[in-house]
Amino acid sequence: MRNRFVIGLLLVFLVSVMVPGAGAQTGTIKIGVPVPLSGGNAKMGTDIVQAATMAADEQNAKGGVLGRKLEIVSFDDACDAQQAVTAAHKLVDAGVVAVAGGYCSSAAIPASAVYHDSGVAFVADASSNPKLTDQGFENVFRVIGRDDQQGPYAANFMTKNLHAKKIAIIHDNTLYAKGLATATQDALKKMMGVQVVFFDAITPGEKDFSAALTKVKSLKPDVTYFTGYYPEGGLVCKQFKDLGVSGKLMAGDANNDPTFIKECGAASTGVYITSTPLPQDQATAKAFITRYTARWKQDPGPYSALEYDSVGVVINAMQRAKSADRAAIIKALHQTNAYSGATGKITFDQKGDRKQVLYITYIIKGDKFVPTGM
Amino acid sequence: MEIALQQLVNGLTVGAFYALIALGYTMVYGIIRLINFAHGDIYAVGAFLGLSMYGLLALLHVQNAILTTLLALIVSMGCTGLLGMLLFRVAYRPLLHARLSILISAIGASLTLEYGLLLIYSPSFLVYPHLFGRDGPAFAGVSISWLQVLIFVSSIVLMAALYTMVHRTKTGMAMRALAINQDAARLMGINVNRVIGLTFFMGSALASFAGVLTGLYYSQISFLMGFLIGLKAFTAAVLGGIGNIPGAVLGGFLLGIMESLAAGYYSSRWKDVVAFGILIVILVVRPRGLLGERVVERM
Repeated sequence: MRNRFVIGLLLVFLVSVMVPGAGAQTGTIKIGVPVPLSGGNAKMGTDIVQAATMAADEQNAKGGVLGRKLEIVSFDDACDAQQAVTAAHKLVDAGVVAVAGGYCSSAAIPASAVYHDSGVAFVADASSNPKLTDQGFENVFRVIGRDDQQGPYAANFMTKNLHAKKIAIIHDNTLYAKGLATATQDALKKMMGVQVVFFDAITPGEKDFSAALTKVKSLKPDVTYFTGYYPEGGLVCKQFKDLGVSGKLMAGDANNDPTFIKECGAASTGVYITSTPLPQDQATAKAFITRYTARWKQDPGPYSALEYDSVGVVINAMQRAKSADRAAIIKALHQTNAYSGATGKITFDQKGDRKQVLYITYIIKGDKFVPTGM
Repeated sequence: MEIALQQLVNGLTVGAFYALIALGYTMVYGIIRLINFAHGDIYAVGAFLGLSMYGLLALLHVQNAILTTLLALIVSMGCTGLLGMLLFRVAYRPLLHARLSILISAIGASLTLEYGLLLIYSPSFLVYPHLFGRDGPAFAGVSISWLQVLIFVSSIVLMAALYTMVHRTKTGMAMRALAINQDAARLMGINVNRVIGLTFFMGSALASFAGVLTGLYYSQISFLMGFLIGLKAFTAAVLGGIGNIPGAVLGGFLLGIMESLAAGYYSSRWKDVVAFGILIVILVVRPRGLLGERVVERM
């Protein structure tokens, strides 16, 4: 009897402690930013967090949202499926009202299920694998394009602009790289007189890809398209030139980073990169770059502007919904109409994909990515 | 034919790195039957120390590529060797008679080194200076650089030097005695801890040599670089017969060539499956590895 009374008292105490924590309507509004902060893609993660922090701080300077300050909460997903799910749970437990971020598709897709179960909006800034929005989750959006948009674009560029007939495609078996490689291959198969002579994967984390590249060399392709990430991309580029493989080298948007050029050295000149435009090549991003450079004393990374806009559309949704409620934010995000961000106008389609995405091809000259064609 | 030769060169280059690291695994195992899981990370530390040395020399305006490389190699090998000894003193020596605990201690040491590098240096990739170009001996249309020649030759020379040392010098004799029976060796007046420490020094210095050359050849290093290659080098050591010095080098080259042929003639995606499949077959046929001997005749 006495025990039951004590337990009852404890329960009352616990509930009274937990309730205000769960439904807090005061304090800061938290926005989650899951990114890789360790491993090969850590630099991208840092770029993304800096852009998110800047977006939140700028809004706070204007008085915040609904009279409350914004706070960016960030956890390391290490571009790893398991760590990403852990990070997603941590973000949900921390009480974020929405999530804006992510880098690798292989981390974003498993995490999106956690956000879906918890009813939290997830605006992806960099994950481009089609599966992310094809799952049918009503809470998932993205401000970047899809790989099945980039693939056909790349296929078009190599056949029309580079007049390629024989094409080799190398991916690294990660979700993003394989998706982009398959999308490119599918587009090429529909074209007359074009042949995909090589389609294989290298192992991320290794350093020597000369065996695969020697095989590519023996097939004499006009264009070799690498769809993995830049840590391996720089090595592929160097070994491609060292082995004297014929034809041109092209790489997907995850290679759009100065480290690619540093690793590959002088041999990187003349390499093509398909990508969404870098901030400096977009008229709408001029003001963003000036503020970013002043704040962080470094140039924005390739995904900084996209992340800035991801946080931007979430803030915009809260303002239109006049609420920081998770469900209300999702509803308002669907109604996003021509939000004008640093990367241009943002409107989402039925699936949560961005309408009208622009791709561009860069060519490396010296130590710079120079735009060469749309 | 040209392609086959090129694949052979590719395989020998990768294999030489496996061999240099496998030597450290095999020596430590030969003496104290410990699989030193931290060995791959010692290799990573060597690469980072080498990079620091290049940075330091650049600050002091030492420009000569050969001089800076020699200094980077010497300093990095020395410091990494001492780190190996320290590792033995701190993490292994107190646990020499606890078989299982010492393995866990090795895994702990591995993680400590990896994440120590992350905290001290950087979580992302670092890039070595591009010092040596692609010039190399012209050879039947095959692309070889002098750096590749150096990597290959040094792995053979170092193996031979190590083998001679173990079989022709007094210290070597002490090492072999230790491998057979530690207590008997101690009774014969051998300073057991000093000899084991020396073994760690040599193994770690070799790994660091491989680390600096990795930086120069592939130009990219990261705190996790030792994990995968450590696993492969350990495999190479087992393939050659763990505890056997020529075996480690043979195993390294063989694994490198198998991987390269599998990637070149089948599929790069399947190369590990093919290479390790062959490895299982070899081990089933010869459980002690290719050159593995009876336990008493290790090293």
